[in-house]
Amino acid sequence: MVNSFENIAVISFPELPENEFLSIEKKYLNVIYINFFILFFASISVVFLVDFTNIINISAFSFWIYIALIIAFTIQFLILKIGFSKRKYLVRSKDISYKSGLFFMKTTTVPFHRIQHIEINQGPFSRFFNLAVLIVFTAGNSSDDLKIRGIKMTDASKIKEFISTQIDG
Amino acid sequence: MHQKSKNLSALKLMDNATLFSQFSTQSKKGILVIYSNQIFSLLKATWILLILFIQKFSKLSAISLTYMYLGIAVVLVFFLVRAFLIFKNFQFKIENNHFILKKGIIKKTNIEIPFDRIQNINFKQNIVQQIINVYEVNIETAGSADAEISIKAMTFEQATALKNSITIFDKANTKSEVEIKEKPLLEIDFLALLKVSITENHLKSLLILIAILIGFFQQLEQFFKGSGNDELVDNFISENSSAFQTSIFIMLFFSLLLVLVGLISSFVRILLQHFNLTVFIKNDTLEIDQGLTTKKSIVLKKNKVQHITISTNPLKKILGISFITFSQAESGISKEKKQEIIKIVGCKIAQISAIKNLLFPNENLNDFDKNQVDSYYKSRLYLQGIFVLSLINLGFYFGFQNHLIFWINVVLFPVFALLIETKFKKRTYLFSEDLLQINFGTIETHQTILPFYKVQCVSMQQTFFQARKNVADLVFQTASGKIKIPCINSTEALKMYNFALYKIETSQQSWM
Repeated sequence: MVNSFENIAVISFPELPENEFLSIEKKYLNVIYINFFILFFASISVVFLVDFTNIINISAFSFWIYIALIIAFTIQFLILKIGFSKRKYLVRSKDISYKSGLFFMKTTTVPFHRIQHIEINQGPFSRFFNLAVLIVFTAGNSSDDLKIRGIKMTDASKIKEFISTQIDG
Repeated sequence: MHQKSKNLSALKLMDNATLFSQFSTQSKKGILVIYSNQIFSLLKATWILLILFIQKFSKLSAISLTYMYLGIAVVLVFFLVRAFLIFKNFQFKIENNHFILKKGIIKKTNIEIPFDRIQNINFKQNIVQQIINVYEVNIETAGSADAEISIKAMTFEQATALKNSITIFDKANTKSEVEIKEKPLLEIDFLALLKVSITENHLKSLLILIAILIGFFQQLEQFFKGSGNDELVDNFISENSSAFQTSIFIMLFFSLLLVLVGLISSFVRILLQHFNLTVFIKNDTLEIDQGLTTKKSIVLKKNKVQHITISTNPLKKILGISFITFSQAESGISKEKKQEIIKIVGCKIAQISAIKNLLFPNENLNDFDKNQVDSYYKSRLYLQGIFVLSLINLGFYFGFQNHLIFWINVVLFPVFALLIETKFKKRTYLFSEDLLQINFGTIETHQTILPFYKVQCVSMQQTFFQARKNVADLVFQTASGKIKIPCINSTEALKMYNFALYKIETSQQSWM
């Protein structure tokens, strides 16, 4: 019987360098804040409208709904703020990686060989800050591919360009 | 089956190139096949209306009857014309290693598929096709769902010629394809099929049957609602549930009946699907022929298989049989139309190793140690188990007013614990230079084998609690779905992560 790790340790293979990961653009935090506050004020105003117009009678506990909303959004805000520094990406010569998550950490790597196509998206707020979303698609189940939000538009196109040449070559 | 004509068509290989160079329609019998398919789906959609119609038959006046017949005749003729037009507009040819198809009466569609995108070519025969002796040829691709092609009627010679000209587009394969190995790898006779069906998961068969019946009754219910029959049923139920003592006998009787129904339904299911199962190994492909009412012939290309799963259960283990499931690249766009699962039932150990040898030559995983997942996985399972148990108890609390029912936990808890312990014990993984093997299962035992180079992307997940215990989940995303190893030591997970990436990036083999 052979232990797989012992056996394979004989050949050396490159490791994912934890400290070489790049943080995404600081400016993207603004986009996150904008989206967050839009959602926050939208939900508050929905509760307010329902309370005010009396479509459903919630006046008895409307106060608690506001409190619950504010607490939930505060927690969400803190998670977004602290978790932001955890969003990192890395482009190596043969693959692209992304990691994120404060309580649910996730690291994903897609080798260039396996990429089907790449997409660059820009939302209205991101456009204002000149940021973009880079999405990498692989074959098969397309739900769980790599998505890097909040990198500079120029960086995104550069990465896309680089990967395209790598795929062809 | 058709061995002679097979050889003949092999000789005619040379003509294949010219055979499909012009746009051609399928066999004329195709009109009949399309027509019967249409009529069948029409009947399926309107069978309740028809029954109602027959019930009220005597009450209808002569004039409205004539109109009825006229209407039916018009519908029948309409579908005949439609079938003819579909047939006439369905044309295909082969050009520059592309399969080109144009179809559609009003909305014209042009489809072009390069040969190397074609995943497999299957032959199929339903009852009508068996009677008029034509074959349905299905061309499956990985990728877009609307590129799935189904040619409804071809003669056997045409079908094989088409298959050959598609599969043998590069010269290297041509030679070996002619030397067909006549002796099948696996032949399952009626008795062996009986063995397979007895050892099936009868609960599953029963659930499938119940699901079918529920769908059937819901259809009925919609039509008969409010007709007064509900009351009758309700009365029947309330009368019989009043006496608790007799209900125990009824329950016993029903559970016996359920066991019997489960057995029979597994048998019927297995017989319909896998009747006369024969598997051939031809060069780089597996050919699987099976089916009772619908005969199917599947050709599985070796390099299109993403991963395989070998499964068995305690009963099957005693008889020394297991089944193999082959996973191919999914067509990502249509989620609802799941690709048919390709399965070989009733494999003996020798046959399994032959198939393994075909797919992964020169690989032997038996020499490697099994790695157990971390005990964190067990605690996670227990936590889930306790959650489910408390839900069940809550259900009891509201369902029965009697407190004695909670004694059932004395039985339930050990059962849960036993299941969790076996599930944890079976969760192991091992890997060699090129292959990864993951074992899992509770009552059944599954063994998934995946070559590293078929992996599309790798990811590692860790919750806050897992991080404190220094364990992580490893997920291999393949073209045929996710494969997950839960809760292994973080450093080992990272090592495997890096190793898998290294294998993918240095591999020269194409994943499909």
